[in-house]
Amino acid sequence: MTESAGASTAAASLTAWPSERTLPQRLGRIALYAVLIAVAVVQIFPLVWLLLFSLKNNQEVFNLSPFALPAHPRWENYAKVWTEGNISLYFWNSVWMTLTAVALTVVLASLVTFALTRLVWGWKKPVLGLFMVGLMIPVHSTLIPLFQMFLKAHLTDHPLSIILTYTAFNLPLTIMILLGFYYTLPREVEEAAIMDGCSVNRLFGQIILPMTASVLATVVIINMIYNWNEFVFINTFISSDERKTLTVGIQNFIGQYTTDWGAIGATLMISILPILAAFFALSNRIVEGITAGSVKG
Amino acid sequence: MVKKTWPLVLVALLLTMLALTGCGSTQNASGSDNGAEASTQPSAAASTDQPASSGEKMTIKLMHLWPAGSSKQHNMIVNQIIDEYQKANPNVTIKQEILDNEQYKNKLKVISASNELPDVGMTWAAGFLEPYVKGNLFAPLDDVLGDGFKDSFVSGTTEAYAIGGKTYALPLELNITPVYYNKAIFAKYNLQPPKTYDELKQIVKTLADNGVAPAALGNKDRWTGSLWYMYLADRLGGPETLKKAIDRSGSFEDPSLVKAAEEVQNLVNMNAFNKGFNGLSNDEGKSEFMNGKAAMYMMGTWELPNYTTNESVPKEFRDSIGFFKFPTIDGGKGNVDSWVGGPGVGLFVAENSKVKDEAKKFVKYFVKRWGEESVTQAGVIPATKVDTSKVNLPQMYIDVLNELGKASNITLFADVQMSPAVAQVHLNMIQALFGGEVKPADFAKKHEEALQQESGK
Amino acid sequence: MDKVMSDKRIIALYVLPALLLVLVLIYVPIVLTGYYGLMKWDGIGAMTFVGLDNYSRLVKDALFWKSAGHSFLLAAFSTLSLIGYLAVAMVLAGRIKGANLLRKIYLVPMLLSSVAIAQLWLKMYHPSNGMLNLVLQSLGMKEPIGWLSETSIVLLALFVPIIWQYAGFYILIYYAALTNIPSSLIEAARIDGATPWQVALRVKLPLIAGVIKVTIVLAIVGSLKYFDLIYVMTDGGPNGASEVMASYMYHQAFRSFDFGYGSAIGFFLLLTCLVVTWLIRRLTASGEEVQYS
Repeated sequence: MTESAGASTAAASLTAWPSERTLPQRLGRIALYAVLIAVAVVQIFPLVWLLLFSLKNNQEVFNLSPFALPAHPRWENYAKVWTEGNISLYFWNSVWMTLTAVALTVVLASLVTFALTRLVWGWKKPVLGLFMVGLMIPVHSTLIPLFQMFLKAHLTDHPLSIILTYTAFNLPLTIMILLGFYYTLPREVEEAAIMDGCSVNRLFGQIILPMTASVLATVVIINMIYNWNEFVFINTFISSDERKTLTVGIQNFIGQYTTDWGAIGATLMISILPILAAFFALSNRIVEGITAGSVKG
Repeated sequence: MVKKTWPLVLVALLLTMLALTGCGSTQNASGSDNGAEASTQPSAAASTDQPASSGEKMTIKLMHLWPAGSSKQHNMIVNQIIDEYQKANPNVTIKQEILDNEQYKNKLKVISASNELPDVGMTWAAGFLEPYVKGNLFAPLDDVLGDGFKDSFVSGTTEAYAIGGKTYALPLELNITPVYYNKAIFAKYNLQPPKTYDELKQIVKTLADNGVAPAALGNKDRWTGSLWYMYLADRLGGPETLKKAIDRSGSFEDPSLVKAAEEVQNLVNMNAFNKGFNGLSNDEGKSEFMNGKAAMYMMGTWELPNYTTNESVPKEFRDSIGFFKFPTIDGGKGNVDSWVGGPGVGLFVAENSKVKDEAKKFVKYFVKRWGEESVTQAGVIPATKVDTSKVNLPQMYIDVLNELGKASNITLFADVQMSPAVAQVHLNMIQALFGGEVKPADFAKKHEEALQQESGK
Repeated sequence: MDKVMSDKRIIALYVLPALLLVLVLIYVPIVLTGYYGLMKWDGIGAMTFVGLDNYSRLVKDALFWKSAGHSFLLAAFSTLSLIGYLAVAMVLAGRIKGANLLRKIYLVPMLLSSVAIAQLWLKMYHPSNGMLNLVLQSLGMKEPIGWLSETSIVLLALFVPIIWQYAGFYILIYYAALTNIPSSLIEAARIDGATPWQVALRVKLPLIAGVIKVTIVLAIVGSLKYFDLIYVMTDGGPNGASEVMASYMYHQAFRSFDFGYGSAIGFFLLLTCLVVTWLIRRLTASGEEVQYS
């Protein structure tokens, strides 16, 4: 990341509030903007590149520069992917499994974090520790044990195996992020509510949870990204074609000895659009949450 | 805000409930340890009628690695054969699971640990096969080979799948490894296919001096570089030396094997390969050849469709490709008709399959039909003998099949011959050798150590 | 109040579902991994108990320690880059026009799957057609650099996309934390005469210290067990030059069919992460989380 460039003039612009800036400080501010925009360009060109190569054929992809425009945009790559690759099916599977797992994770994590920060009991530290250890296990170690367990529970090739696994593996991270925020929530509101005779459930559901809207949006995005792009577990636990997801659909195009780049590009573009859409929708929520004065009454 | 969170929770609960009932599929979601469910599969055009036939209804699970996206023709033939079989045997349904190569290998491992193999699946020969056979997971298929079926196989192919005298899988493909070359580039520099190794080096020098990559290589996958090494080892030491080193009746520190390693490094130093090859995958290496940037490409005969029938490759390019056999080396023991190659994937039947007999029947049918269809439809050379008079093939195929007919020896790919652990050492050493990171003598020594450790100190 | 907040049934209701899920789906595999680590097993056939053999082999395994070194190096780079992310988040959370849009753009790489990112960077690093070498060549470089084939730089070359992938993630977390700080506090400081610089350092930082600690642990632990891009881009090569602990474990378990040893490595990796986390907590321990007065 190169946003530290031009630090001195940028820093100079930070030593005074907007209304008090002098000309060199304004220039410094422009430099700051320039750097930020440069970083943005670096971050966004992958999408541009992805779009471009989804419209090329293999020869063009390997041969010409990544930014060369395709001779004839091959929209048929997309058509091919939808029909041949069973993509619509995988797409729907990805959508509902991701959403379910995300919802489950976020709800359970909020409940736990609330209990860890607000309720009164003795075993908070060990329980928190238990959750945190879950962050540390490398995924591949768990494949064989989990598969054997699901086998015994007759859950192989069942979406529940995936949803529960995603939830379990995302809980530690989600709790960790929520924890930082829950700590910063002020206590007066809840003290007042309890005084007024509010039950714990009402306190949680109607007061605390809404206050965490901004961070909820954050963990939803993070969970969605992880679940949407995951494929190791799907490949291992799911065997029927009808239950596979988009990431596996992409793997379908990577065969024994050849790869079809145009098709992969098209699949990736299709796979990214929902995430992008969800992201833009949710990130507005973050702003809403803040401006609604969620923190201080 | 309040109003917006409770619906979320409800939605979550609802979705979870749907998940519990297996929403999103048309299939019975219970565990698959009962082989007698009748089930249909959308991508295979399976017959959906289940007439009240006399045979007991059964399902055969087949797992393979030819997805429709990238192995279209293979996939088509598989579906075709399944169709035929299901029509002829209406009480049998065949359920497919398709994965790509790497995922296939992973999944096979995971399910083996729980002894949950599909009834029929794919495997590679020799070293790959060994752990599965040792663990008693594959059923011997000698009964299938009985009554003359064995003779329909090219000699040596089923042997690669035999351990302890029993055959555990039936091969579907047979490949040899020629060196493809771009006739147009050769003509441009007045070059002829080499008959001797010195001539090959001359070609390399000419091309390198003129800024053309002599040979395309993507050695990130490592087995690609291994092909070059194997030919050098064969031409220098003869076909038996490497084989003996691996099966422990000889040593890997045999001088011809060390010299082969030296020659590899000589080639690298002569800039025989495209730049940065050690970090490029086989596909990326191949594209150098396909785009006319490299003049030669050593690869298996599975590439033949790209130089003959594949319409998405420009015709002009296809017409300009030929192949030659790896040349002999002066003073070496190998002859020009000795090939590196061998059977590709084969079909196994799980030992604990509940429909073993039917599965074996299916395998036999599949291999037979595959042999009849694969050459013309997918451009794949099967392990069963092909009657060239009956099929209409592009010239290059006929040439290859003729070469196969007069081959003096086919040495199986080193990383398939070796056990998995030793194969890893070999592949890593190949990458180090090509990258100039290990000396030839140490290269051999590391192999010898690994082989010794494997077989017992 | 305490009475209400310490109702055992409520606590169980809130905590148990998640806890059970984690215990069953994460801890059972952890225990099994430890168990398999004590076996000689190819993952397919029978297992034989060999006690701590795998672990003593681990200690002497030079290749493993090489991969461990790489993992720790990645952890160091990731942690250092947190400073950059924090700076960007701070700037964004201030009065920047278009901060919203910029923030969304920064997060884009995070949305891509590892496969997509790997393909992009493989193209970037391509020796003859890649963006990097093409630019360098136009600036006069003679010999193309083999970013992924030269053992001396391949590891560093891989760090770039890894760090790039997660930039948006950390910026997002910091940004959310920073915007959660009530503006009244910042106003108060400003009225007291603090410059923006001082506000950043003395007011904002301490208030998000909890979140910063979280991200440090995430960055380090995530780096130690990192797998995806390494596997897709170089598979640990050439010859182990970019191997990390997770990829080494994968190779042992799934390629060399040495599942017992692979499990031992996995278990060791887990223990390492635990120790490191504990160390971080000790080093950054502050008594109470900072709260608003």
